[in-house]
Amino acid sequence: MMKRIAASATALILALALSAQTYTGGVKGTVVNRTDRSAVAGAEITLLSGASEVARITSDAEGNFSIPDLKDGIYQLIITMPDFLRTMVNVTVNDGYVKNMFKLSITPVAKVTEVDDASFSEFDMDDTGYSDTPTILFGQNDVFNNIAGYNFSSVRFRTRGYSSESQDVYLAGVKMNDAITGYTPYSLWSGLNEATRSKETVNGSEVSDFGFGGYNGLTNISPMASSVRTGWRASVLTNSSLYRLRLMLTYASGELDNGWSYAFSASARLGGNDWIDGVFYRSFGYYGSVEKRFGDVHKVGLTFMAAPGQRGAQNASTQEVYDLMGDNMYNSNWGYYAGKVRNARVRNTHEPIAILKYDFTPDNKKLTASVTALYRFGKNGYTALDWYDAPDPRPDYYRNLPSYFYMDNTDYNRQNYAKYMWAKEAWETDVPSVTHIDWDRLYTVNTLNTTSEGARSKYIVEERRTDQRDFNLAANGKWYAADFLTLAGGLSFKWNRTEYFKTVNDLLGGDYYVNIDQFAERDYAAYPTMIQNDLDYYLANGQAQILRQGDKYGYDYYANVRKAEAWASGKFTAGVFEANVAGRIGWSSLWREGLLRKGLFPGLDNDGNPMYWNGSVITTYDIDGKAITSYGESEKKSFLTGSGKVNLSVFLQGGHRIYANAGYYVDAPTFNQAFVSPRTRNTIVPDLKTVKTASADINYAFSNSGYNVRVTGFYTLIKDQSDLMSFYDDSQNSFTNFAMSGIDERHVGVELGFKIPTPVPNLSVQGVLSWGEYVYTSNPTMYQTFDNSAEIIASTYGVKIPYWKSHPGLDGKTKQHYVAGTPQLATSLGLSWNKNYWFIDADVDYFGNNYLDMNPLFRTDMAAAGPDGIVTPEEIDYMASQEKFDGAVIVNASIGKSWYVQRKYQIGFSLQMKNITNNLGVRTGGYEQTRLVDNTVSKERYYRFDSKYFYMCGANYMLNVYFKF
Amino acid sequence: MKSLRYAAAALAAAALFSVSCEEWEPVFTLDYGEADVYEPVTMTPNTTIMELKALYSKAPVKIQDNIIIGGQVVSEDRSGNIYKSLYIQDATGGIELKLGKSGLYNDYKLGQWVYVKCSGLTLGKYNDMLQLGFADPTGEYETSYLDVQYFIDNHIFRGEIGTPLQPKEVAAKDLLKEENLGCYVTLKGLRYGSNTSNKAGKEIFCLLYVDPNKDTKASSNRIFLSDSGLNYSVVDDPTWGITTWAMSKQGMISYLKAGSFDKAMVNDGSASVADIKDRLIANASAYAVSQYFLMDGKEVQVRTSGYSRFADTQIDPAILDGTATVDLTGILTVYQGATQFTLIDLDGVTVHKGE
Repeated sequence: MMKRIAASATALILALALSAQTYTGGVKGTVVNRTDRSAVAGAEITLLSGASEVARITSDAEGNFSIPDLKDGIYQLIITMPDFLRTMVNVTVNDGYVKNMFKLSITPVAKVTEVDDASFSEFDMDDTGYSDTPTILFGQNDVFNNIAGYNFSSVRFRTRGYSSESQDVYLAGVKMNDAITGYTPYSLWSGLNEATRSKETVNGSEVSDFGFGGYNGLTNISPMASSVRTGWRASVLTNSSLYRLRLMLTYASGELDNGWSYAFSASARLGGNDWIDGVFYRSFGYYGSVEKRFGDVHKVGLTFMAAPGQRGAQNASTQEVYDLMGDNMYNSNWGYYAGKVRNARVRNTHEPIAILKYDFTPDNKKLTASVTALYRFGKNGYTALDWYDAPDPRPDYYRNLPSYFYMDNTDYNRQNYAKYMWAKEAWETDVPSVTHIDWDRLYTVNTLNTTSEGARSKYIVEERRTDQRDFNLAANGKWYAADFLTLAGGLSFKWNRTEYFKTVNDLLGGDYYVNIDQFAERDYAAYPTMIQNDLDYYLANGQAQILRQGDKYGYDYYANVRKAEAWASGKFTAGVFEANVAGRIGWSSLWREGLLRKGLFPGLDNDGNPMYWNGSVITTYDIDGKAITSYGESEKKSFLTGSGKVNLSVFLQGGHRIYANAGYYVDAPTFNQAFVSPRTRNTIVPDLKTVKTASADINYAFSNSGYNVRVTGFYTLIKDQSDLMSFYDDSQNSFTNFAMSGIDERHVGVELGFKIPTPVPNLSVQGVLSWGEYVYTSNPTMYQTFDNSAEIIASTYGVKIPYWKSHPGLDGKTKQHYVAGTPQLATSLGLSWNKNYWFIDADVDYFGNNYLDMNPLFRTDMAAAGPDGIVTPEEIDYMASQEKFDGAVIVNASIGKSWYVQRKYQIGFSLQMKNITNNLGVRTGGYEQTRLVDNTVSKERYYRFDSKYFYMCGANYMLNVYFKF
Repeated sequence: MKSLRYAAAALAAAALFSVSCEEWEPVFTLDYGEADVYEPVTMTPNTTIMELKALYSKAPVKIQDNIIIGGQVVSEDRSGNIYKSLYIQDATGGIELKLGKSGLYNDYKLGQWVYVKCSGLTLGKYNDMLQLGFADPTGEYETSYLDVQYFIDNHIFRGEIGTPLQPKEVAAKDLLKEENLGCYVTLKGLRYGSNTSNKAGKEIFCLLYVDPNKDTKASSNRIFLSDSGLNYSVVDDPTWGITTWAMSKQGMISYLKAGSFDKAMVNDGSASVADIKDRLIANASAYAVSQYFLMDGKEVQVRTSGYSRFADTQIDPAILDGTATVDLTGILTVYQGATQFTLIDLDGVTVHKGE
């Protein structure tokens, strides 16, 4: 190294000495945006020879640059451009030729979208088994994502209607989607925005050279020290819809002369908000990274980061409750405790990620490769109330509502108007012990429940833990085989063991709790072994375990997942044409390992014999004659998967690009879809299949002199998805497990994004349109079993759900059912003004065709028919119809400005105002309760329980002040 | 430069203002301090329970006057045999409060003083048993449950937890006296049996449904297990082989599988239990059973809920074969003029063998 610098210095001195001499060598090329291949004008190009600067120029309007008059030798070319990552390449000039670098792509840095956190606000979807993890769009210099990502997050918009699991998120080349659920794991590093800002992204089925990806894009975040923006950056943020205060401080050294880079970041997000009581943050973030370059060829880096803390969750309620409270932001999760707002549902996480990354960039620059080892560990807890033989403490429990006492429809058998009025008055006057959790009562009950062992708690706060141990090894490489050919590929391996269990988080004034299954007790009170959560403990000690604070109880099992994958891609360029192909093969295996023997499903003893208690066999068997087992390892399910995709692009003069993508994907089901009731037993869902997806899109993009347009048409078919839930089935008077397989969907639509200059200087018109039809195209098969006995329910086991994809309407037409969770029509139109470090944006959004998530029970003949077993067209239409939300218009604006101080410091602010017209009626999601009103007068039919909804916050602001130096 | 300073100052002020908002602190630290402990209510009753009961003549009475009664809790729903009901007792007598909540023993402790502001409540009878509840506008029953929490909070007050009352010993001749109904009592020297005309001299009563989710009043859905069959025909075994206090869902399935009820008929005569056994097993549910005892020649029906924890507990064979007598402690009630007795739990059964 030193030798080389010395040599270069000598060369330089010689060059200076011989400055009169001219050379014929040189370097030229075109700077393009990595994301959309558009030319980047005004990029600063610095050429270094050793440590000294040889030339400094800027690219022209077409992105072209040329540096003539260079002596033969090795140079370093550095490209810098505001809002792009600093890019460095080595150039060898030899034999006096002008080296043509052709397209030098630089990676854009995302526009600062500080509202990311809004996407992580905790929604409590407990009753359903449905999850509600959003997909997040990065404004990665794609005009559609840029605008949609910012404007649509508040309605939980999902690109092309795809689920969160379909979006691939990588960290330093390692796929980070949750091994158990497939969900995107952004919350692992939320609050570390600066440290994780550097990322590269492709959309849809596009081929990338940093991973295979699926049909919903791929984002690779680089959390290594050298990728973090150099210098100090501090910011203070306050907002009114999530938390009061965010503090963030980040420093990155950049790469120092000695080859070291280091960076750190720390953040805190604190406090409640103006809109939803009980939702709060007490979250922190820490990040540290060091990297060391050894010569030009080797670089080793280590990163350690986590976002620990607590966040209070929000719950959905029925419209009746919202109307009674006069507030669509009502949250039933909290109550007053010593005068303070205490939330029963708090996420409590600390999941660090450790990354060791090695980069290999041999001298000739034809090859780059990296190997990453990544380990994720720590705790992930979520508290909830648990209670034993005591009334349901949730304030919006249906028996606490006026509608439980009186309904106009006499068939409901609810005709006590005086009671209705009493209940209504309590809600409307907001009596705290009625409208919120009555913590004082819970404490009183516990402390007064004295026994010989002390006070036995009847209500406790439990913490449900999902503690992951996730080890990953990934190797990725890229080879510039020829000017027209780039090859990339990689191998990865994932080892995941996630422990699921509960702990006693707070005894709420009592001294102990008891480790028995209160739901089993309802059916089997007279059978002491059957109500045991831990049968082995009971058999050894003659009684159930007495639980103290912090003790594990309830259930305890490992989810095991192993995955191995290989992928490769190739990029061919020929003139204006570019073709990409990519393929992937994968293998995955998953199994459950029970750590407790549950009384309901003791299985065989350690010698493989049936278990006995008091002379009777307590082992139970399934229909195939196999013992139903809670303890030990389940069968291992393995899946072989493979996918392929192809892209074709044509670059036309003037910044036009036409491109098309197509792909076919075979993906393994996730662990959380694989077990009928993982908390209690090893039973695998019948008919567990791989998910098959075919996806194609065609696009036109135009990017030139301030114009930025993309139009896309897409068509995607998804086959053989599964889903799983557990719920109380009123028609069976039992808690049941419900598996669905063979869920097919079709997603068709168009996307448009544009930003167009107006005749007014510095003013642009910008807008997006996402218009699709995301529908179910199959009637899945259901498998319903009793949770307490694992017995199948004959009428709903292995039977198609007849009204899932559609149902016959009363007018004789078929009523289609839609994929829920996102508006299928979303538009935004606005103005953007930029001058002299000022920016002002304003836009009007419209959201429509948003549907409520369906529960499968309401789509069965059983539910439609009611107790009399007779299905009428009216009953089908009532029970199976899907709710469509009203469309909504939202107005947003933002303003910002930054100042440079003495050319060294930068101070700035941005103020965003969302939902300025204070529209309080925008439903963003929710679910149907899987419960039926069965106690009707006529005994002819069932009625639905009311659905539960989430609403968007009213007018809110976010103010960010930042300082860079 | 000047504008910059102003802007910075304004921003700092804005940030400070938002931080000082009052909801900031309460949700921030996760340190919530101590819960407010329940303070017992002290009230002075102006009416005794017997005076209140005397207000009833023939029809339900909606109480308008400012009547306050007070009594100590004598019942507990911990074992599940008493459900949505709370019995309180003062020096004059006891009364059933139709408190329509589960797990009442969590809030109402044995011996705890409970005061009831009766204005707005309804006093009514259910098959001769007086109850204090809410009005039932449908007229199906004389009272309905007190199950609106806000109403309960405004009418029923929990006082000091006193020493639990000792049971009153009640003689056979006093079983139906109003001052004993709804009270915590001990009945002594009972022997298993009944005054049935059936020669067995033993009897149970139980009503099963073919499908409990369907119309439970339709004769096509009812199966009576009692001392007489269809058209008052004589049955062989009026105890139907039921040797438990009641039957849970699992208990019922066991009896069905054992064939105990095979000869019982659906009330419209359409089928026997043996004919529809698979259906009955599929629709199995918990059922209450009345076991008949004799006390000095007077019948006492010990009625036990199928949802009680001791539903499937075997009754001591010495009781069933008549060789033992029992003392029973629990709540005394009446049903259609007959004495009914509700155990609070099995501690209320004392067996005297060989007497």
